[in-house]
Formats: sequence, structure tokens, C-alpha cells
Amino acid sequence: MSFFEMRHVIVQFGGLCAVCDFSIALSAGQLVGLIGPNGAGKTTVFNTITGFITPDEGDIFWQGENIRAYPAHRVTASGIARTFQNIRLFADMTVLENVMVSFHYSIQSDFLHAMVGSPKYRRVEAEIREKSRRYLYELGLGHLSSEKAATLAYGQQRRLEIARALATGPKLLLLDEPAAGMNPIETIELAALIRLIRDKYGVTVFLIEHDMKFVMGLCERIKVLDYGKSIAEGTPTEIQKDIKVIKAYLGSGYYAAG
Amino acid sequence: MSSDFQEQSGAVQVRGGLTHRQKTLLNVAALLCCLGILALFSRYGSEYHVRILNNMAIFITLAVSYNLVNGVCGILHLGPNAFVAIGAYTSALLTLSPSEKQINFIINDLIWPLSIVQVPFALSLVAAGIMAALFAFIISFPVFRVRGDYLAIVTFGFGEVVRVLCNAAQSITNGPLGLKNLEPYTNLWWSWGIAILTIVSITKLINSSYGRAMKAIREDETAARAMGIDPFRQLLLAFLISAFFSGIAGGLLAHLITTISPTLFMFTLTFNLLIIIVVGGLGSTTGAVIGAILFAWGGEALRIVENPMDIGIITIPGIPGMRMVVFSLILMLVIIFAGHGIFGRNEFSWEMLARICLRGGKRVGSP
Ligand SMILES: Nc1ncnc2c1ncn2[C@@H]1O[C@H](COP(=O)(O)OP(=O)(O)OP(=O)(O)O)[C@@H](O)[C@H]1O
Ligand SMILES: [Mg+2]
Repeated sequence: MSFFEMRHVIVQFGGLCAVCDFSIALSAGQLVGLIGPNGAGKTTVFNTITGFITPDEGDIFWQGENIRAYPAHRVTASGIARTFQNIRLFADMTVLENVMVSFHYSIQSDFLHAMVGSPKYRRVEAEIREKSRRYLYELGLGHLSSEKAATLAYGQQRRLEIARALATGPKLLLLDEPAAGMNPIETIELAALIRLIRDKYGVTVFLIEHDMKFVMGLCERIKVLDYGKSIAEGTPTEIQKDIKVIKAYLGSGYYAAG
Repeated sequence: MSSDFQEQSGAVQVRGGLTHRQKTLLNVAALLCCLGILALFSRYGSEYHVRILNNMAIFITLAVSYNLVNGVCGILHLGPNAFVAIGAYTSALLTLSPSEKQINFIINDLIWPLSIVQVPFALSLVAAGIMAALFAFIISFPVFRVRGDYLAIVTFGFGEVVRVLCNAAQSITNGPLGLKNLEPYTNLWWSWGIAILTIVSITKLINSSYGRAMKAIREDETAARAMGIDPFRQLLLAFLISAFFSGIAGGLLAHLITTISPTLFMFTLTFNLLIIIVVGGLGSTTGAVIGAILFAWGGEALRIVENPMDIGIITIPGIPGMRMVVFSLILMLVIIFAGHGIFGRNEFSWEMLARICLRGGKRVGSP
């Protein structure tokens, strides 16, 4: 039984097959990329894993369980966290509160304790605050704790999304275009950060990205998707040489950076 | 590690201005002040003033608990009148004496065992809260399947259903005749005691991890789910707590006016609450309190617009319902000039008060 595995997953929207017979297996600690032209179905794969979409067919195995029908919050509780392609922060809450939300599902205190502000609850709250601070410092956002999330710069918002996902305590982290909208320097820093997260927290990282330089430099293995179908899988060097991949990208007006 | 944290948080609070202990002291002082004022009013206040103050407290309780669902969770729930009705009837049926019940129910007899029970007021209030919460629990399954406009319509429907049931279930509610001659148990201590209890406990909840989860759902439900939050559970919690306190407020209301009938719990009640929390600032407990105070006080002060008026030679006849027109105007003005209500989503804090006072002082000092 592998660490994480999707078997023959099919997702259809009306007549459109957004994900067609998709299979992948990840082993623990890997850094894997998912690439493909626009509309290839990458985000749909992530939505399916994280319980926002139930696949029409196929299974998703995670730590010995089939999670295909789990609701989103249960998937997260089981140790899979994600970020969103179009940033989805809790805009009107502070940066610190954004991260603190991630601890709620595992809170060790009931609401009555919270309503009377019992010492037990205050202890739990202090712990959550302290842990959240640590994640913020780790991602270089410590000085922004009390700012509203909506006021952050774009790159900072992307990092806050990662901090928030990380705070749920995942073993598998899904990043949907984490470098989108970042400048070249931020992108380089992000690659280092993702490596650090993988090494320090021992999470497996599965990421979608259009920036080929970023993906090729960071990922150990890459899966290529086109029109919902997997057309190639291998190391960055193998992928760069793959004739089907080059065709898919040239065909849709993209150039695989080499 | 915990002492480490305390040092850190202490440092942060000093920078913010006040330590935890200072704030607690100020809170206690403010509470004592309130109690002093209440004592003065309950001893020397006129009946008229006491009634306004009771009304105020009940509306504070209602607005603060309504705001938990509509402001904090960001759900457009339009049926709090149902919670209040259930609370009022439950509490009234439990405190009326068996002989009073016999006098009240002239068309149909009240069903057993309601016809013979009689419990103390305090217990009837608890029952009122529990019954309202029970009702909220039952309707939560259809209600939270939908969102937005659909949720508004579903909750509005349940509000109406309850009112219609109050009219129809004659052997429980006495139908359109309502229940009369309740003991006037509600006094300033009861109404303000419950109001303060509601404010304190709901504020603590909002500032806790539970409140953060509710706000997260309001801000972005998809992201909240991705952070492991089950929206149904959080919304249900808010809904139950809101219903519980609204039910208690209903019981207080019943024993304040001593006569209840279905017309008291029409949609107008919900509409008034909506005005209160929108004018005060959706999502702000402080705003809900201020809104309720203005509403209860304004409701009385604006009675003059319903009286006949002499303007020079012309006499305008009194128009009943004119108050609602004025309220609607105020609502529109607030929305136009302060889109997020008086308080926005901000809350009262001692630091804020200090800042306002200091700024005012400076302005006086430097012309
Ligand atoms: N909820 C939905 N309902 C209907 N169609 C959808 C839905 N979500 C995605 N699609 C369609 O499925 C296809 C795959 O979309 P998806 O978002 O997975 O692509 P993607 O590979 O992430 O693209 P991009 O690189 O632009 O983010 C697209 O044609 C899209 O229009
Ligand atoms: Mg996408």
C-alpha cells in the first residue's frame, strides 16, 4: 500500500471529462509536480483529492483508507492540506487569526469552556496563539501578525496561505500555483521555503505550477496532464525530452522552458 | 514554555496600553456602575422609565444573539421571531397558575399536563431557552442545506410557520386570544442580568476559537472547509446559542407586558432586529448593543411623530406606524453615510475609549 494513491479517477462536468482515468502514487517525503496547459484539469485533481468534488469513478487511497467520499473538512482532518490557485484568505481577519483558524478542528476544549472563559480554555487558546506565531515566523510573516489579511502584498498572501495550510498539521501538502504572481526573486525564495518545509515538517508536497523553471528546479518527479489525461510522468530531465509533452505545450501556445 | 508565552503576551499588552489585570478591574468597575444605576432606577425610577429600560435590555439580548448568526457567521437568518415566540409561550405556560389557565382557555381546554404545571419564573426561562434551541435544532437540517437568499427564505418561512401555529394550536397557545394575566415577574434585575450574561458569554464565544471558525465561514466558506472546519457544526452551534438566548428574552418579554398573542411575533419583530444590528454594525456586539439602546429609546422618543401635530395653522393628524417610517429613514441614512453601521465590525475596548479621550484632550489643549 503506497503512501497516497489515486486509481483511475474520472471527473465529469456535464459532457466534459475534466479528469479522465487519472492515476498517481506518491511516496512519503517526495516533492512532486503536476503540470499541464490551462484547463488541463490540474485544479480539478486537487479538488477531488481534498473532498470538494467526489469523483464519478475511481478511488483515492490515503493511509490505508479510501477517502473518495470524504467531505472536505474530514480530508483535512485526516492530514491533507491545500492552498488555492485564486487566493482564498479570510480577508477581514488578522494574519494571526487566519492561521489560528487551522487549529480549530482539533481543539481540545468545548464551547461551554470558551463561553465562560475557563482557565482550561485560556490555556488552549494561548497554545494555539503560540503555535500560530511560530508558523508565521517560519514563513517570514511574523511582523505582520496583527495586520488584516486583505492588506498583505500578493506574495505575502500566498505565503500566508501556505502557513495556514501547514498549521492544520498535514502529512500531504497540495499547493496550487504557489508562485503565480510572484517576481523572480520571490519565486527563488519560495522554492527554498518549500524545500525547507518538506525537510523540517516531513510533509510530502504535491504542487501545480506553470513556471517551468520553478517546477524543473524544485520537483523530483513530475506528472503531465493534458485534456484530463495523464500524458507523461518522470524526472524533470525525462519530462523535458518527452515528445508528447513538448507537443501538448507547443500545441496550446506554451513553450517548455529548457 | 507557558511562562515564556505569558511574558511575551504581557509585553504585547503593555505596548497596547493596558494589562489583563487592569482591564479586568475596569470591567468590574463598569459592571458595578451598571448595577448602581439599576439599583437607583429600580428604587426611584418612574414606571415609564423602568419599562423603557426593561425593553432596552430585552432588545439588547435579542440583538446580540441575532448578531451572532447574522453578523458573525454571515448568514441571513430571518426567523428570530420564531425563537422569541416559542420562548414567550413556553415561559408563560409554565408560570401561569392552573386556575389562571382555566380562565384563559375559554374555547379549547389546555392540554394535560400543561394545564396543571406551574414552575418558578427562573425555571420557566431556562425551559424557554431550551425549547427555542430545540426548535432551532430541528429546523437546522433543512436550513443549513442552503445558503444566501435561499436560507433567508427558508428561515422566513419557519418564522411564519411558528406564528401560524400559535394561532392554530388553540389547545396549547389559546390561539388568537393569546395568554393574559401573566405575573409581571420581569424587573430590571432580571432583564439586565440576562442582557449582561448574554453580552459577556457571546463576546467570549466570538473571541474564542469557535468565533474565529464562524468568522472564517463568513469570510470564505470554501477556505474554512479546507482548514478542517465543518460549517454545519459551527453554524448549528451559533444557531442554538442564538435561539437559546432569544428564547429567554421571549420569556422576559412575556412577563414584562403580561399579555402575549401571535401578533406580537410577526415578521416586524425580525425586521426591527435586523435594523438594530445593521445600524449598529453587522458583526459587532457593541454595535448590536448600541443599536438596541437607540431603538428602545428612540421607539419611545419618536412617539411624538405619531401624535397630532400643530405646525402654525395646519394640524397634521397622528399617523400610526409613522415611527416605522422614521426608522426606515434612519436605516437608509446610516447605510448611505456609514455603509457598515455605526461601529462597523469594531468592538468597544478600554484602549479605544482611552484613545478617544486622549485625542479629545489634545484637541482642547492645542487650538
Ligand atoms: N465546477 C466546474 N464546473 C464545470 N466545469 C468545470 C468546473 N471546474 C472546472 N471545470 C472545467 O474543467 C476543466 C479543467 O479545469 P481545471 O480548473 O481543473 O484546469 P487547470 O488545469 O487547473 O487550469 P489552469 O491552469 O487554468 O488553472 C476546464 O475546462 C474547466 O472549465
Ligand atoms: Mg488550476
